[in-house]
Amino acid sequence: MLETMAEESISNGFIKNPVTGSNPAVVAKKRNLPGTPDPEAEVIALSPKTLTATNRFLCEICGKGFQREQNLQLHRRGHNLPWKLKQRTTKEVRKRVYVCPEKTCVHHHPSRALGDLTGIKKHFYRKHGEKKWKCEKCSKRYAVQSDWKAHSKTCGTREYKCDCGTLFSRRDSFITHRAFCDALAEETARVNAASGMHSLAAENFNYQLMGNPLDTVMPFSTVFNPISSNDEAVDQTRRGFSLWMGQASQGYDSFGKSTLQEIHQFGSLNPGSIYGDPMVSTSNPPVSDYQLNWVFGNKVSSGNVEDHRLSSTSLPFSNVKENGPQLVSVPSLFSTQQQSHQTPAFSMSATALLQKAAQIGATSTDTAFLGSFGTKCSNSQVQDGNKHSDLYVSNTPSDLENSANGISTLNQLQMYPAKRRRMQNEDSGGGGGGGETRDFLGVGVQVICHPSSISGWK
Amino acid sequence: MYNNNNNLHHQPQTSHTSISRSSDYSAGGSGDGEPSGAGNKWASRLLKECARAISDKDSSKIHHLLWMLNELSSPYGDCDQKLASYFLQALFCKATESGLRCFKTLTSVAEKSHSFDSARKLILKFQEVSPWTTFGHVAANGAILEALDGERKLHIIDISNTLCTQWPTLLEALATRNDDTPHLKLTVVVTANIVRSVMKEISQRMEKFARLMGVPFEFNVITGLNNIGELTKEALGVLEDEAVAVNCIGALRRVPVKERATVIRTFRSLGPKLVTVVEEEADFTSTRYEFVKCFEECLRFYTLYFEMLEECFAATSNEKLTLERECSRSIVRVLACDDDQDNNNNEGECERRERGKQWSKRLNESFSPVGFSDDVADDVKALLKRYKAGWAVAQPHQNETGLYLIWKEEPVVWVSAWKP
Repeated sequence: MLETMAEESISNGFIKNPVTGSNPAVVAKKRNLPGTPDPEAEVIALSPKTLTATNRFLCEICGKGFQREQNLQLHRRGHNLPWKLKQRTTKEVRKRVYVCPEKTCVHHHPSRALGDLTGIKKHFYRKHGEKKWKCEKCSKRYAVQSDWKAHSKTCGTREYKCDCGTLFSRRDSFITHRAFCDALAEETARVNAASGMHSLAAENFNYQLMGNPLDTVMPFSTVFNPISSNDEAVDQTRRGFSLWMGQASQGYDSFGKSTLQEIHQFGSLNPGSIYGDPMVSTSNPPVSDYQLNWVFGNKVSSGNVEDHRLSSTSLPFSNVKENGPQLVSVPSLFSTQQQSHQTPAFSMSATALLQKAAQIGATSTDTAFLGSFGTKCSNSQVQDGNKHSDLYVSNTPSDLENSANGISTLNQLQMYPAKRRRMQNEDSGGGGGGGETRDFLGVGVQVICHPSSISGWK
Repeated sequence: MYNNNNNLHHQPQTSHTSISRSSDYSAGGSGDGEPSGAGNKWASRLLKECARAISDKDSSKIHHLLWMLNELSSPYGDCDQKLASYFLQALFCKATESGLRCFKTLTSVAEKSHSFDSARKLILKFQEVSPWTTFGHVAANGAILEALDGERKLHIIDISNTLCTQWPTLLEALATRNDDTPHLKLTVVVTANIVRSVMKEISQRMEKFARLMGVPFEFNVITGLNNIGELTKEALGVLEDEAVAVNCIGALRRVPVKERATVIRTFRSLGPKLVTVVEEEADFTSTRYEFVKCFEECLRFYTLYFEMLEECFAATSNEKLTLERECSRSIVRVLACDDDQDNNNNEGECERRERGKQWSKRLNESFSPVGFSDDVADDVKALLKRYKAGWAVAQPHQNETGLYLIWKEEPVVWVSAWKP
């Protein structure tokens, strides 16, 4: 076996000592960065055939092939070799690094060789191999079986979180939402990341104060009882109809009008109705949300809407409302923070960017989260209706308990943003490598949204 | 009980097998499973009787039935009551020849309460709870990505009213699929008036999102087009070095029946590499001169749709109500408006759907079908798994092309891909 390897390493014509362009500081580190090997290491260049061979380790006695060296050693014991020959036959093992046989690959050059045989094999499959393994749930494809397995474990359990605070269990809905989310639209993601809480608040202010497309103020009691407004509409329809019995044209007009009215009843319930903390997700403020009104409607009558809104905010940005859109001034306070935050982001792939945006959204809106936990009323648009409901309010004791868990986990998330980022990078860059650690996140994030009993209201 | 998870059992139409759909299966009409004498299908019975009475011009019967329907119907009740209410409106308009006026009123009311936020919330919510629209998006995107793979400059001509909800996932795929991301130019042709007003906001969002994804992007909107048949390469800004895909979602049905052949030829003249078509599976066209038949088909289709909305949305959902009202406009348009009337102000209001088979016949004049790859079919199946049970994908008969979205064992949406 060793002779074969040695042959290959010579025949491929690579120098044994890699280019001295390698950073000497690398040697000092305990663990090298991938693809920047120890200059003293022996460079092995295996052919694709050898790399993909599953039984690389051959017993010199009987020629049987094994996938792992340990398995070969175990097998060799069975041959009852004299003690001397049982030893590993190399005098001294030099550190080996491996290069990728694919000429166009970055890791083809010895200076970017990978230090681990399994590593180079996986790399070869992932980058240059056929993706034979496919996830059933999301049909994502993998070339390495272990990547696929790792992915399958977490597929569907992963939650995505938008800057605006909404959680998603489906990646495609998350992406689509993200494209249309106000959190994206108001400023670039860069600014949002650092000042998520503040810009969101400012944006809400602006939205509310700019007035509503429909100024009709409806008594909110009608929202609770669609049946009562229903009767009203039917009556009108009836009236219209009975008129028709006598005169055709008149009947039509009444009919038309009644339809108009009933439509107005519903169409007009909206834009101003943001109750509670504007820091909360309000990516969809204008639509009248039954549950929303149910929870807060009792407290506020339509006449006092404005006052209530303003008094409930505790932000120091009292100037903002007078000046209209002035989101510009807010982010400047955080510009330095943003830059250090964001530079790594631009070198990432798009998937990582998305994930990062989601993650940053999570860590930076933590304060908003924690602060407004009791009165949150975000519309978490999550499917899998069983898991989440439209209204995200922790009113019941059980919810609070879960919320508490959520808070503590969020604290942890905030403390370990670096770790989390790395895990996500690994995931986006190299397949399922970060899979194992995701439970930590999965647990923390999932717990937050508790199916509220409010959805039982009919 | 149809259960998507158990779809390997005796249910023949599952997402894992391809089904041959015989042509009878797609025939509309009275075979909609109406249990005889059952109390729960009163709406269907009464409505059909009324339609017949109108067709027969039986005045007293018309009065009587309209009165009964009025008593029993309600747009806020259960499915039967809602269907009764909206179809009653159409029957009434038909009987009084006031269809066009009613349609215009309904449309202007809807436009008044329409805003970017409401439209966005509506469409995103619908996509969240039902694969009705996302089915077509996923299949079309998959076909587009495959057909234009390797091209450096893509130009997608989107003729739809989806508010660009199809494109974020495509942008993401373009960004992550390859190491070098192509340039994407997206030209949206808007036919519904109601959508026009929000396109400015949409364009801003799309541009920002493309920047976030790192995809070089250009976005244009074409409005004020009375007739899709008038589209030209110049008008759309199609350049020589671009790989063009025409994406048609629910747009062909808005073209007046007489002009459909022209429109398809127009598509051909744009020189696309791929044309994707998504339409709802119903036939309001071949029966357009036979009121009762058309009525029955209309009732069949919208019954399915309303039931689907009922199951997918929460009971008190505002979005559901809005969608139902949209239907009411279409119903009035199809049943109570004369197609030849008021031709100039068409603006894509036609709404006369055709079945996949019928569209295929038209499209085969200028194009040849492209099958969906296994990967795309898998993606679609995976999509359906993310929704509640009741949905499936089916591949059509031997000689037909495309994919069908199945709801409760009925084909409801058809998606297909074509090349010149």
